[in-house]
Amino acid sequence: MDSNLSLEEFLAAAKEFVEISNILCDGWKLIENECLLKSYVQKECFIKPSKEDSLPMKAEYVMFYSLSYGVPQFSFNVWNSLGVLLTIKELRRVLFIKEPPQSDENLYSVITQQEHPIFFRPYFIVHPCRTGELLACFKGSSTNILVTFLGMIEDVIKLNLPMEYGKPSGIRKTSS
Amino acid sequence: MANDRELLREIWDGKLPICFQLAQEEIMEIQQPDPFYVMVPRLSYFPLVTDKMKRHFLRYISQENSDSEMWLDYNGQPLKWHYPIGFLYDLFCGNEPQLPWILTVHFTKFPEDILLRCSNKDVVEAHFISTVKEADVLKHRGQVMSTMQKKDHNQLRLMESHGENEGFKHIPVRIYSDDGTCHQSLVNPKNCTDGSRKTVQHMITELYPDKTSVKLRTHGITIPSDTPLQWLSEHLSYPDNFLHLCLC
Repeated sequence: MDSNLSLEEFLAAAKEFVEISNILCDGWKLIENECLLKSYVQKECFIKPSKEDSLPMKAEYVMFYSLSYGVPQFSFNVWNSLGVLLTIKELRRVLFIKEPPQSDENLYSVITQQEHPIFFRPYFIVHPCRTGELLACFKGSSTNILVTFLGMIEDVIKLNLPMEYGKPSGIRKTSS
Repeated sequence: MANDRELLREIWDGKLPICFQLAQEEIMEIQQPDPFYVMVPRLSYFPLVTDKMKRHFLRYISQENSDSEMWLDYNGQPLKWHYPIGFLYDLFCGNEPQLPWILTVHFTKFPEDILLRCSNKDVVEAHFISTVKEADVLKHRGQVMSTMQKKDHNQLRLMESHGENEGFKHIPVRIYSDDGTCHQSLVNPKNCTDGSRKTVQHMITELYPDKTSVKLRTHGITIPSDTPLQWLSEHLSYPDNFLHLCLC
């Protein structure tokens, strides 16, 4: 399992991804840092995870580069309308995290709350150990590796990623 | 291969005396609770050694808080349970030793923007395993953990290098400043110019080219700057397979 993606490739894909997001008005921003490893892609938005929850919640998504694994990593936090951070159990209850995993033990092996390597604060982080082999399958065919990556994350977390991300750039520009 | 058995024994048997005190604002009884003294392994984690202490203090706090998550602070700084106890002591008390280490116990006002939630010991295990996996990726490109079953992970101890003379690909190392920020980069155990063994001094010069006289501390000792990194990683890593070093 060699480095699948270099930091430079990640940043190039991030720039391109944010350009597509701007066209689609999807709200992703690239936050650059002079220490390249601390550059990240971020989106803040309000979500209404389930019908029972009448009040919207605030979500923050951050994609960053894992030097150890040589892959993009996905992290997020969700706050309720009182500004309190949701726990992993609450995230499951509001169906922000999709089923399965059935048991808590499975869930912990996919998503754990960790100290964020860029912000040094608690974030939920999707574990990167399978990301490399999965992304490797798409490396030749993917138009943007971060779109492919988010497509994989969609499997676990409701992101409501617009389908237009997957369209070739020519079609996207004419339709917008 | 790690072969300095005596030294490994010293590291693995290392203990710290701790004095837990209940925060004044938590006490709901007229009688003041006695402090709780205990010797804890330096290599362990607070959620794994505080069950008895928690029971001791529970009867002095308001019952409505008895199910809420307990947390600890030293001198007003919340202690991150996901770091080994010995590392936390080195970080906060490395320059001015305090024995026993006096910590304050809280049951309310959990600082959710600083500390990770730890509702049960499975969370500690999940965190530990994910750190071991990361170390394995750095050392052996992930070959060891991926060939192991989940049940074997529970038996897992310090992983040693593969092959006789072959060093690690990268050294799993995290260097922390006292402001809580951490520096992690890809550190090769050999110098790329001549393939010679890289020492602590080489790593310091590489990571902090502007700073002079940088010292690093772990397991209560200042590391001699001529220590080879490969040896350091095999002998002074924590059970999560990372070297957790404090800048001093």
